[in-house]
Amino acid sequence: MTGLTTVTDVLTPAPPTTGARRVRRGHGRLRSSGEVIALLVLLLVFTLLNPGTFATLTNARTVLDQAALPLVVGVGATLVILMGSIDLSVEGVMGAAGMTFVLLSANSRGGESHGALALVAALAVGLLIGLLTALIHTRLRVPTFIASLGVWYIGLGVATLLYGTEGIPNFSDPATANWASRLLLGLPHSFWLAAAVVVLGLLVGRYTRLGRSAYALGADERIARDNGVRAARTKVLVFVVAGGCSALAGVLASLQLGAGSVTLGAGTLFLTIAAVVIGGTSLGGGRGGVARTALGVLLLTVLNNGLILSGVSPNIQSAVSGAVLIGAIVAAAWPHRSRLRVVK
Amino acid sequence: MTTMSTTTPATTPAAPAPAPSATGRARRGLPPGLWQAAGPAAVFVVLFAVTAALQPAILSGVGPINLTTQATAVLLVALGQAAVLHVGSIDLSNAAAAVLGAMVLALALGPLAAAAPLVTLLVMALVGAVNGLLVAFTQVPSFALTLGTLGVLQAASLVVSDNTTVYASANGEVVSWLFIQAFAGLPVAFWFAVVVAVLFWLVLRRTSLGQALTAVGLNETAAVFSGLRTRWLKVAAFSFSGVMAGAAGICIISQAGAASSFGLGSDLLLPGIAAALIGGTAITGGRTNPVGVVFGALTVALIPITATALGVTPQARSLVYGVVVIAAVALTASRARGAVVK
Repeated sequence: MTGLTTVTDVLTPAPPTTGARRVRRGHGRLRSSGEVIALLVLLLVFTLLNPGTFATLTNARTVLDQAALPLVVGVGATLVILMGSIDLSVEGVMGAAGMTFVLLSANSRGGESHGALALVAALAVGLLIGLLTALIHTRLRVPTFIASLGVWYIGLGVATLLYGTEGIPNFSDPATANWASRLLLGLPHSFWLAAAVVVLGLLVGRYTRLGRSAYALGADERIARDNGVRAARTKVLVFVVAGGCSALAGVLASLQLGAGSVTLGAGTLFLTIAAVVIGGTSLGGGRGGVARTALGVLLLTVLNNGLILSGVSPNIQSAVSGAVLIGAIVAAAWPHRSRLRVVK
Repeated sequence: MTTMSTTTPATTPAAPAPAPSATGRARRGLPPGLWQAAGPAAVFVVLFAVTAALQPAILSGVGPINLTTQATAVLLVALGQAAVLHVGSIDLSNAAAAVLGAMVLALALGPLAAAAPLVTLLVMALVGAVNGLLVAFTQVPSFALTLGTLGVLQAASLVVSDNTTVYASANGEVVSWLFIQAFAGLPVAFWFAVVVAVLFWLVLRRTSLGQALTAVGLNETAAVFSGLRTRWLKVAAFSFSGVMAGAAGICIISQAGAASSFGLGSDLLLPGIAAALIGGTAITGGRTNPVGVVFGALTVALIPITATALGVTPQARSLVYGVVVIAAVALTASRARGAVVK
């Protein structure tokens, strides 16, 4: 218990100079409101550009349905990035978990339906893969970007093996096949699922020892460890949570697609990382949060949706996310440039 | 609390990247010197012997030709990746760059004929240089930046190809000779790649440019204090990676005569990194043996063949690559006590 109190002592009282603190806090508020303004400007511009198609209830549902996937992944990714680590395994985990879910549900390949067990098994696959990444990182001391890069392909391999050589497995139960787009209180199920995950993520980040420890590790791992933060345990738990989020996203993606696919996560990785970074979470760790990521996801989804409605080719969608990612990390790093700063 | 603080030695540097010299005492992995000198070749020879024992067909006929043909594009991409890893960064966009390079070549072959490959290499050098300039001058993490350029390049090849396959319809003979058998019955392109590796080795070991690149990789702060133009050296490394991706693109057109966004070459990223790492390149930077990378690429090309010979289904290929990358880094990683690894 003393560990926890010392951590909060480190986190809450004033950092060295109150001047610096005031600057940082003001800066944070400014950036956060900047994103809200950007979102409002985008909404206004696209409404004017596409009268009658953009600002409609149907399109709002489409946007929220599209935002669901990056929102779910983004919660896990934010916690990982807050620690100063990175999880590149998202698309592999989504493939493996999505495939598990489809094959254990009623599908066109036959075989019996396992009901809720399919969901449990899919999530378990994600948790296990997250655990694998974490253990490779903490036990073998492999940097997370390499560990999770390897695990990305391990996940894809698992998905390919599960897929086997038979035809594409489609959901045969129509109630499952259209679950994601069915409405509850006027909004799609997928969005409610994502909203629940975001709220959970917010609570974990703000009120639990795990969330606090993640912030502390990202801010300065050495100081955090000296103050009793259990670095290895926190990292393992955060990566397991991130694996679970990716697995849930894999299940959701297969529900949206109505079928199983090894590559159903393609493109999710840099969409999510772009969203986390433009939300204002620092890639160096220690600053940011789940709420900012949710804002970043909405910003990117509205941008992509609005561009496509305005007649821009969907082919450039990944360029939009990529360019926004580049712009966001450059803008975030710009004030910290120094001739002697070492960034790998 | 006291036990926590004593486990972290007060002498370790505060910078996140531990100085390699300080880690010698506490490391548990293989010594990098030994691995670099003999490891990659030994791994390849052992793996090749196992495969040959299980499947003698690989020794005769088209076996070696297939192996080196498979290894060529991987080797080219891996050499570029090794240069970037050598200065302590990583390039996640090089496979997407190779595909775009193949498309540029396919489109340029008609109007430009023999000049088209040169134009392709120039364009891809520019793409690499943009990566390098952004990494060096805006000081952003290279994995995040090149993830962004990966998205941009993917979209570029979708737009260039209009989401279909681009065929090199005219002047195919400009590049088609690259996979004709030459010396020792192996394809010309493979020998080209080996020559590039040897030249790269000479540059690293024998020129001031190579020494400067090594200095940046081993200790960037010290390199700055020594008056090296560290930023331009990074730009040079990324540009080289771009040129090598362009060369891999030329190989794709020479082999297939066509390119598409999800076709040949789009899955080169992890094999390229794996080849560089198995070839003895340290992800921390400053330790690279381009000749080792040749064996790394051959090993990577051999892995699916060995896996099949061992009875593992070829579908498990990406799984095997993933495990190999992690194992290669884990075996050579520094394990200094108290050091912070993100």
